[in-house]
Amino acid sequence: MSDQLLDPRAIRLGETAAGRDDAIRRCGEVLVEIGAAEPGYIDTMLAREQSISTYVGEGVAIPHGTLAGKDLVKRDALAVLRFPETVDWDGEPVTLCVAIAAQGDGHVELLAALAEILLDEDQARELREATEPETVIRLLGSIQEEAKQ
Amino acid sequence: MPTRTVTVGSSSGLHARPAKIFVEAAAKAPVKVTIRSGDRKPVPAKSMLSVLALGAKQGTEVILEAEGEGADEALDSLAELLAKDLDADA
Repeated sequence: MSDQLLDPRAIRLGETAAGRDDAIRRCGEVLVEIGAAEPGYIDTMLAREQSISTYVGEGVAIPHGTLAGKDLVKRDALAVLRFPETVDWDGEPVTLCVAIAAQGDGHVELLAALAEILLDEDQARELREATEPETVIRLLGSIQEEAKQ
Repeated sequence: MPTRTVTVGSSSGLHARPAKIFVEAAAKAPVKVTIRSGDRKPVPAKSMLSVLALGAKQGTEVILEAEGEGADEALDSLAELLAKDLDADA
């Protein structure tokens, strides 16, 4: 697991997208840009979403690739994209995407930590309304530590 | 209370896809089903976030509980689902 699961460069808080697939593509592009995944990973993210929605609740979706896409992951990483105007995610309004590139099963702890944050209404709101990368890093910082254990 | 102890069968753990399939099935059950892992408190099995927060991997033992009419049948089918590798047809 990389020391920097959440690269500050992968936090984009003023994104817009025409729809769900467009938002997923943006998420994938950021993971590719920071060197966490090969471009082909984006297609596996879209395939995963078609198979089953990655919407988890609280206006948050967690797009990630299929098992077949694991080979296209270069290092474990997260990307946080915020869509202030919300994206229609199969009928659910999504404000925040936490995109995941993961090789092993380290992301299960990572998802567990994210879910804990989202189960806390105040933290969930803070995360959805974040306009500064520092806020995201502070809130998700615990994820990085837990995932390293 | 009717209880089932199940070992998570999905190769990538009880995360997005397997968790979603399980949560949707739990939501359809005629009784309220809870799930817990270890000594942690039981959480509603139909809550995606609560199930994700368990952080259950393949091989993790989880305990399902439900009460009322149809509880045993509901637990049997949910337990069967959890024991399967829900990533296999991904």
